[in-house]
Amino acid sequence: MNWFQRLSKTGRMEKDLDAELRFHFETQVADKIQAGLSEAEARRATRLEFGGLDQIKQDCRESRGTLWLVSILQDLRFGARILAKSPGFSVTAIVVLALGIGVCTLAFSLYNIAALQSLPVHDPATVVRIQRRSPENITPGLPYASIAYYRDNAKSLSAVMETMGSAPLVLNQDEQRVSATFVSSNYFSELGAAAASGRLFDAAQDDAASAPACVLSYRLWQRRFDGDPSIVGRAIRLGGRPATVIGVASEAFASLGTDDPDIWLPLLQHSYFVEGSKPLADPKFEGLIAMWGRLAPGVSRSSAEQELLSLTNQLRKIYPTVIWDHEYIVITPGAHFLSFEGGPGAPPVLPLVALLVFLILAIACANLGGLLLARGAGRQREIQLRFDLGARKLRVFRQLLTENLLLGSLGSIAALPLSYAVLRLVLVYSNAPAWMSAMPDWRVFLFTVTMGFFAALLFGLLPTLQMVRRKKNRSLWHQFVVCAQVGASCVLLILAGLLVRATLHTLYSDPGFGYEQVLSIDPGMSEHGFASVQAQTYLDQLQSRLRAVPGVTFVAIARVPPLVNTMIMMTSIDVAGRRIMIYPNWVGPDFFQTMRIPLLRGHYFHNGEKNAVILSESLARKRWPSEDPIGKKWEKSNDVVVGVVGNTRAMELNNTDATEIYYPPTADDFPAMAVLVRAAGDPNTLTPTIKAIAGSIDTGLYPTITPLTAGFRKSVSQVEQIATIVSLLGSVAIFLAVVGLLGLVSYAVSQRTREIAIRLALGANRMEIFTAVLRRFAWPVLLGLVAGVAITAGLSQILRRALYGISGLDPISYMGAMAILIAILAAAALLPIRRAFQLDIARTLHFE
Amino acid sequence: MTTPSKFDLPQGTLDLLILRVVALGSIHGYAIAQQIQLISKEALQVQQGSLYPALHRLENKNFLVAEWGPTETGREAKFYRLTAKGRTQLRAETESWERLTEIVAMILRQPLGERL
Repeated sequence: MNWFQRLSKTGRMEKDLDAELRFHFETQVADKIQAGLSEAEARRATRLEFGGLDQIKQDCRESRGTLWLVSILQDLRFGARILAKSPGFSVTAIVVLALGIGVCTLAFSLYNIAALQSLPVHDPATVVRIQRRSPENITPGLPYASIAYYRDNAKSLSAVMETMGSAPLVLNQDEQRVSATFVSSNYFSELGAAAASGRLFDAAQDDAASAPACVLSYRLWQRRFDGDPSIVGRAIRLGGRPATVIGVASEAFASLGTDDPDIWLPLLQHSYFVEGSKPLADPKFEGLIAMWGRLAPGVSRSSAEQELLSLTNQLRKIYPTVIWDHEYIVITPGAHFLSFEGGPGAPPVLPLVALLVFLILAIACANLGGLLLARGAGRQREIQLRFDLGARKLRVFRQLLTENLLLGSLGSIAALPLSYAVLRLVLVYSNAPAWMSAMPDWRVFLFTVTMGFFAALLFGLLPTLQMVRRKKNRSLWHQFVVCAQVGASCVLLILAGLLVRATLHTLYSDPGFGYEQVLSIDPGMSEHGFASVQAQTYLDQLQSRLRAVPGVTFVAIARVPPLVNTMIMMTSIDVAGRRIMIYPNWVGPDFFQTMRIPLLRGHYFHNGEKNAVILSESLARKRWPSEDPIGKKWEKSNDVVVGVVGNTRAMELNNTDATEIYYPPTADDFPAMAVLVRAAGDPNTLTPTIKAIAGSIDTGLYPTITPLTAGFRKSVSQVEQIATIVSLLGSVAIFLAVVGLLGLVSYAVSQRTREIAIRLALGANRMEIFTAVLRRFAWPVLLGLVAGVAITAGLSQILRRALYGISGLDPISYMGAMAILIAILAAAALLPIRRAFQLDIARTLHFE
Repeated sequence: MTTPSKFDLPQGTLDLLILRVVALGSIHGYAIAQQIQLISKEALQVQQGSLYPALHRLENKNFLVAEWGPTETGREAKFYRLTAKGRTQLRAETESWERLTEIVAMILRQPLGERL
């Protein structure tokens, strides 16, 4: 008989067991009668020898080995009845758990979508991302010459795809530009993509001279063309160049990487759409062509890396200047939205988020523990009764644990729809690609169930043990629960406070430069293959024409226009063994007036001045703490410091201590330069004029014109989003802490109802009783606060970059959070005590 | 519980004794207890509280099989029989028991005050 048969024949086996033991009993009685005892005596003696018949039966059942299943079913049924009997407790516990687990599930779902789920492409397991590395260099892209060589020679790759992002393009005459990605002709077919209308790129695009074509994204098709199917076959203008729409990608199409463009263009026609560019012909082109591949059947990533490495070494002979020393190829799974590879120095986002989220779960669990404990007091009588009836400790323990697990699974079940709803909102709000679904998959299910299991097990364990051991003194666990709750809530509240303060600080403090009335004009000359002389001519013309426009007060050029720069450059120097990170910029003479950056010492750049640098005040102070920097040689160059200007937070709004160095532009810089224009009034009114001027100088360029305020708002909104999320987490934490404390204080009061009644009857001061009940919570609260502050102070060092000029130890945030927490805790404590004061003294004392 | 056994049987010994008694032929629980008591000359009294869980455990391990049948008095009783697996187990257990007792005896026989 296997265990299943045994289980299914429980009834029969019970009868057998009973019959077997009865036979033994009767035979023993019969033997005793034969030995001369009366029947009554014989029965009495036998019964005494037998001892507890039920105990023997139970032991037999247990040795049968199926009992655990039967009794778990029993326990579950009993647990469900117990929970149904006290709906108030059950609902509170489930809500607390659902919140705690829900937050974890939500965070995990996001991680799951971004990093664990495969993109919905054909055979995602073999899609890989291919990047080049060397001990000195990390770049996401490869030169086209390398890609082509690998494509033609690698046997471990069955296909190679390329993608290349682009600056936003003007569509027809639209104000709003569209994002575009250049892709190889096999991109759609390799990914198994379907067209919503028309067709996608195919071998026809292998010919660079074929008719210029583009594929629209489903989103752009709906937004811009109202889903009109007749758009297929029509010509549109992109960046001034006519191109035929050959089709629309399906709504569910997932492009590789985080890239989610409005429009796809054939990579081979890059030079057509971006005039003068030659990303394919010039092996030294610094553009970012990303290489993707499909592993040949049966080939592992590491063996493909091996093969490509040997190809790299052959490639070095053909392009000695292009291939780095010790260059090697890294192959990572490609069919994921994000890969959390993270280079050195990247902020530890994942562990940080995990920590915050588990804090919430910890609070929820500590709460659950407190609630269970408080309830355990009410069930003391029931448990005692079961012990008196002969139940063993392990048995009672298991029963209570089963109840906890039941609670845990109910919490998990409630957490799933909760996290689903929030995730849907998040996806809609963040304009996520259509293939991302909030529907939980098996990983999310597994995660949620596991979380529920652990929550119930770990935090139900201690109170349950105490209940089983029938210990009267639970105050230590209580105090721990209070301490943990307060500490964790404290961390979340202070973090929320810090981030909110940081947002306000960025919004309302002086960034060190005037950005409100400045426009940035990026002609994108380097993309169009401008040489430096050509670029300089263009810039000179554009500047002089702009200066003549009424309403324009200053015009300047800069390589890195503040706030709207797409690329951040950094350099560093070592002063007395300490590394100072510096933001370099290459600027024209009028840059400082245009940006309203004050001159503190020396002079601004003169026209055509060479071998000169201007330092920001903080950099000058760090480099020469006690000397006048003017006239000093800058490091190991021939550059002389000619001026010191005010600090700005142009490159890093969050860092008041950022240091900048300014160089006059060299010939190489000109193609990468942008023009900055300061207006006397509203800068946006100048946009049409600027467009007209730019168009009259060069018809091939379509400059991107952005007000710096837009860039400012964009950087701030990121902080705002983080602040909102942490604030939400903080409020969940407060809610949980309130529920938990309410439960614990109610319990403490209920334990001392008689004492309070007697004191009241004897005319005690209510305040005294109040403090007497609450005194035992004072220490844990204090300890929790201290621990919370200490943890946050540590965490805030990691967050420093996100804190936008607020110290990680900002006293207002800390004091504010603690004040709020204490006020809420006091209110939560007051409620049950108030109830105690209103109790009927006579009845209470009588009842006891 | 009410009548304390003269000896506390070492862990697992009861199982061995039961296997040995059942090896003599198909037998029911009461008779097993009687047999052990008889053979040991009343030195061992097997408690019902240990006997039946042990029987069920051995049955569960497929060392024993049980069948209902009539006794000589005509009552229905559960008769246990040794399986092939049980026989092997009995042989192995007996062997190891004998070795153990031999070794224990060897050590105990060593006169006090002497060392090898």
